[in-house]
Amino acid sequence: MYLTDEEKRMMDGEYGYGAQLGMKILVTLGKVFDAEKLVEVQHAHVAGTGFKTFGEVGVKWLEDLVKKNVKVRIPTTLNCIGIDRATDLGFPKEKVDWQMRISDAYKNMGCTAIHTCTPYWCGYVPRLGEHISWSESSAVVYANSVLGARDNREGAQSSFASALTGRTPCYGMHITENRRGQVLVKVVDKPSGYSEYSAIGAYIGKMITEKIAVYDGFVNPRNEDLATLGAAMACTGGVPMFHAVGYTPEAPTVEAAFGGNTDYDVLEITRKEIEEGFQIATRSESREVDLVTLGCPELTIEQVKEIAEKMDGRKKKDGMTVWLQTNAYVKGMSEQLGYTEIIQKFGGILTQDACTCLSYPELIGLKTMACNSTKVSFYTPGSNGLNIWCGDTDQCIETAVTGYWQER
Amino acid sequence: MSKIIKCRTISEGYGEGEAIVTQMAFGFNHAVDFETGRVKEIGHELEGESIKGKVFIFPKAKGSTGGSCYVYQLGLSPGSPAAVINLSTETIVAVGAILCEMPVVDRLEEDLFENIQTGDYVKVDATNGFIEIFKKGERTDVSN
Repeated sequence: MYLTDEEKRMMDGEYGYGAQLGMKILVTLGKVFDAEKLVEVQHAHVAGTGFKTFGEVGVKWLEDLVKKNVKVRIPTTLNCIGIDRATDLGFPKEKVDWQMRISDAYKNMGCTAIHTCTPYWCGYVPRLGEHISWSESSAVVYANSVLGARDNREGAQSSFASALTGRTPCYGMHITENRRGQVLVKVVDKPSGYSEYSAIGAYIGKMITEKIAVYDGFVNPRNEDLATLGAAMACTGGVPMFHAVGYTPEAPTVEAAFGGNTDYDVLEITRKEIEEGFQIATRSESREVDLVTLGCPELTIEQVKEIAEKMDGRKKKDGMTVWLQTNAYVKGMSEQLGYTEIIQKFGGILTQDACTCLSYPELIGLKTMACNSTKVSFYTPGSNGLNIWCGDTDQCIETAVTGYWQER
Repeated sequence: MSKIIKCRTISEGYGEGEAIVTQMAFGFNHAVDFETGRVKEIGHELEGESIKGKVFIFPKAKGSTGGSCYVYQLGLSPGSPAAVINLSTETIVAVGAILCEMPVVDRLEEDLFENIQTGDYVKVDATNGFIEIFKKGERTDVSN
């Protein structure tokens, strides 16, 4: 693989231990994936910030780097974590302490510890064609698909290696011909809103695994809809991007999205596939629910506003826990605009930093969850073992009020 | 008689064990118990099975990018597989495995799923880029 003089000097240790380690990781991956060279990146987003996924061995790895005075070389934001730094959600102190050691280690190495899974809304907005190195699979899909930036499905440590060097291996999504569509998805029945985009994503991800879908037939999708669509596709499958004809920058037409590729499969979305998407990985024997969680990816201020309007004047059932998951940016604005007060009167908690699947509902006595994102439902059995229901936002709010999972 | 097949090194190292094979894509994130190696993904054909100490064979990866940290923690935990063989390895598995030194190979020179079935015994020399397969029942010193 070709390395510039500066990259060779990083490899040789002239720029310190961190840049050398980063360069070693990137060159190893570059050789594995047949990259001819590295490309410069100006921003990294690092996942793997949760104690639940990285564990004590991860804390040790990171704190060791801090001791060696490792620093990032480019602006670097951090993914969500298992706790809320502003509100005590009742998790054991031991878990909170371990989690904060991960956050602090990254911060000490120069990362901006905003803890969000939506860096494209409150961190850094890459430009069309810009090379970046982001982990967080939903952010990878959003950056490639909606923004037209260029990003591979980086593992947490490979995006961190980019943070240490300002480089990433040039393969996969960094190369134009690899971004062409591979499967046409005809959207026959239109999704009614956010959660149905999530259900479509879960279904399609499972069907196509790593292929690039070209959706034809969406009508005025909101950015929140495309974010949750991609988030779902990247957990039931391993997709790096999709095209939405007429709405995403590399897909003005079906032909442009396929870039000359004429040999592709065709799938259809009807009510049947949407319902199937909601069912993937949901499992619950009891309709009695004690946790309702909304948002994944994190809620935008528009979504918080809409949910507050639905909650206004109502009250959750006694004993019910209700989390609205977002970041400190949206939370701050919500407080100023009075939405937080409405949500609190309902009995809900607007959280920051915390991701349901990285947090610890199982350690505060909760048994059965309802959510409006198929990504949450997909990871719930493995991450916390709760029973799980998945549906739309209205269903979830009715469930919070009645205490029982509500059919649509 | 054993059979040797060349392959590509993703993450160096050596591991051997009973093969556990799936043709479904697999995402490590939140999907394997660190102690027992039990697969936790609802609806996966390996749900409930253990990959602990085995040579884990799946075609390709899926799922969240935090999976690379999950692979790292798993590789340093009791539930770790002895080695991983893919049709085509993805970045997320590769970087996690390289850092925890879990042997991983892909791109066998012969058909992966025709040559290895669950219960076969497989030696994976990831450092030198080859595997050795003992069909089920052909080795008396291992229990199939």
